[in-house]
Amino acid sequence: MARATAAQGFSWRQFRVMLRVIMRGEQHLDSTGMGIGGDEGSTRRGFWGGLGSGVRKVAMGFLFLLLAAMFFMMGFMMGETGTTPYVAFSLCAVCLVGLTVLTGLYQAVNVLYFVRDLGYYLTLPISATTVMWAKLAHFLGVSLLGDLIILPVGLGCLLAVGAAPGAWVVMTLAFVLCAVAVNLALVIICVPIMRFSRLAHDKDRFSRVFGALVIVFALAIGVGSQFAFQGDGLASLASGSERLLAGGVPAVAMGVLCPPSLFARTAIEGDALGAAGALLAMLASVAVYALVLSAVARRWYFEGVQALQGAGGKRGRRVEGAELAQATRTRGALAANLSRDWKTMARVPVFFNQFVLSSLLMPLYFVVIMVASGVVGVSQASDAGIEPMAVLGMARELTALLTFDSPALAWCAVGVLVFGLFLGFSSYSFTMGVSRDGEDFFFMRGLPMDWSAYLASKFVVPFALSTVPMLLLIVAALVVLGVPAAAGLYLVGIYLGATVSLGLLSLGLGALFPRLTWDNEAQLVKGGGATLMVFAGLIVGAVVMALPALALLGGALWEVLAVPVALCLALAIFVAECGVLVWWVLGPCARSLSRRER
Amino acid sequence: MIRIDHVSKSYDGGATNAVRDLTLEIQSGEIFGLLGPNGAGKSTLLNMLAGVLAPSSGVIELDGVNVAADPLAAKRNLCYVSDSPDHLLRLKGHEFLRFIADVYEVPDAVRGPRIAELAREYGMEGELDNQIQSYSHGMRQKMMIMGALLPDPAIWILDEPMTGLDPKASWLLKQSMRRHADAGKTVLFSTHVLDVAEKVVDRVGVIAHGELLFVGTVDEMREHFRMGGSLEEMFLELTSDNSPLVGEAE
Repeated sequence: MARATAAQGFSWRQFRVMLRVIMRGEQHLDSTGMGIGGDEGSTRRGFWGGLGSGVRKVAMGFLFLLLAAMFFMMGFMMGETGTTPYVAFSLCAVCLVGLTVLTGLYQAVNVLYFVRDLGYYLTLPISATTVMWAKLAHFLGVSLLGDLIILPVGLGCLLAVGAAPGAWVVMTLAFVLCAVAVNLALVIICVPIMRFSRLAHDKDRFSRVFGALVIVFALAIGVGSQFAFQGDGLASLASGSERLLAGGVPAVAMGVLCPPSLFARTAIEGDALGAAGALLAMLASVAVYALVLSAVARRWYFEGVQALQGAGGKRGRRVEGAELAQATRTRGALAANLSRDWKTMARVPVFFNQFVLSSLLMPLYFVVIMVASGVVGVSQASDAGIEPMAVLGMARELTALLTFDSPALAWCAVGVLVFGLFLGFSSYSFTMGVSRDGEDFFFMRGLPMDWSAYLASKFVVPFALSTVPMLLLIVAALVVLGVPAAAGLYLVGIYLGATVSLGLLSLGLGALFPRLTWDNEAQLVKGGGATLMVFAGLIVGAVVMALPALALLGGALWEVLAVPVALCLALAIFVAECGVLVWWVLGPCARSLSRRER
Repeated sequence: MIRIDHVSKSYDGGATNAVRDLTLEIQSGEIFGLLGPNGAGKSTLLNMLAGVLAPSSGVIELDGVNVAADPLAAKRNLCYVSDSPDHLLRLKGHEFLRFIADVYEVPDAVRGPRIAELAREYGMEGELDNQIQSYSHGMRQKMMIMGALLPDPAIWILDEPMTGLDPKASWLLKQSMRRHADAGKTVLFSTHVLDVAEKVVDRVGVIAHGELLFVGTVDEMREHFRMGGSLEEMFLELTSDNSPLVGEAE
């Protein structure tokens, strides 16, 4: 049966029908939040729903343009400092291939295999090759839109060197062909993997592994960019990319993953005839990959889909007798809710990656930056003939001045608030607390739930994951720097006040306006809505930190308050804020949940 | 006892009613079957009884407790199986049952033996350590029923409880319902499976377009409408567009 279906050829008519259906929206089983599509599955109806969707699209368009403008300026500056357009293009190509390899494989798997509707498509008289190409066309379209954000680096460089309009067209075409080729290459790799890999058949494990890789990679880019964007870092990166394409194993890898990149130098630096020839060669290489993919898909796509159907997770043991009694012993309402929430979060790959792994890696991110900065600082001090311990001694002499009548302590507290504001980016793990339950929430509405305990559990888990590791890091830094105990405790108090109030306000807002109707977990953490929510965390942070910050600045900057008074007032404001917010979350917000309907 | 007094529910601000001015009393010691076609308002009514939905108007009392005024006390006195068993799918079977037992505050001395007994009865002993998402539809339904029966409250409200159950589990559930009612407690369930309703219920209610068209025993229904056919034939007749009850209800 499988072979019979696989033997059917490509049908242009069926392709168009399938593509139309797919573009209307599919139900994805995306578990990491990295896949494409399925984001509009539960859009709200009516005027406000339409307005919200419109605002989200405008905001996302604005964000895209902002980033594109930033990359364009980066390319322009590179061109101004002598980087050639081909070198800038090399950087674009390497970034494109790097990012696509890391995220594209999962995206391809998600689009081609982890689709709830796929089982239904397979019952229809449509060939597997046609289904795959229809899905792939949609995937390529959406991927290309995202990939285009890198292109302005090269275009900016072209503007800086005053290139002719033809050069702009050539570079754009070359980039698009590179993007298509690398995505095709990934799918060629992905089809046999999905046919034969047991890991890929366990969606949760596969999602978790790839999600973890992407997050680690994203953090590594973040850490690397701290150093790369200093001095001539970007120009160095660009010339490094050019060397990568020049020869050796990396060039072969680039050539395999993105064959058009082999012809890029001729296309961009050659004369008109050479550029046209190079573009044709690029096009031919893309056509070859398309043919290879068709052959691979005809052989293995349908079998891969079949292998995926019914592939289950790990089976448990038989639990009975004393072990069962132990496993089901009595807990309080808070513990019961905590356990349920934690298990759900840890077992759903998208929640694990977004809320657990990234929270735990965040302190590591700061540790790496601090250590690397320390190493650089010590190295520079050594070059200047200063002993490393002497540097630490000087720092400790400075921190010894942090007393309660010193404006320096107030400025440090302001610094803690700025850091707390930065943590607002991660406050969406509180905001999403209730939304994470989705339809399960309405099941619990039928139970005699203690909604205050429910919300308390929704606070404890993200607080323990995001705030506590960072708190330990701060305490360690304070100890190493020799900050006096009282001042250190004060700063810790300010940090706790900022993070607790930020978390409580975010949680309460999430409880009052939860998003409970979604088709898969990834809809919560991807797309425009989720991105806007991350930025909204900054506003929430600004709201809770405004008054304490004003009090601190009143003592340190404007000198309208004595410094000790300003310090005490800031802390008192946080205590009051936290008190009010605890009452608000456990009272009105919990009552709102107990009455919430679909 | 369940008392429903002039209850209506609208999802669109009163333009249309999913349940319209419905009044009904279900006595303790009774199994009451709610029959109706798709979209008749059965699930809306049961959701209101379970406190998941608030009535737009009217009063619901469960054993004398007003659901709107004291939802927590009312819920402690009932268990509810909804029409979908896809809940808390990432929990393992025993974790789900523990959560339910914790929420209902079932004491240790009761929950351990009861979970073991329910697992044995419903053939789920070997599945308790697996996540519910790995269960088949029928196994998920069994788990939801086990969760509902675990706290053993006075009132059972079950929305299409037999859907997906194998014959043994279905028979077990019917036996449990009978025992529960015979112990002086209340069972209200909705179903499409008319044969089940005919064999299990003490009284039936026929609902269509949000209105209760008939309440009584199956024999009363036959006598009232002088129909000699099966419950299925009567049901089709009563819920059709030219139902003899539509005029009476108005």
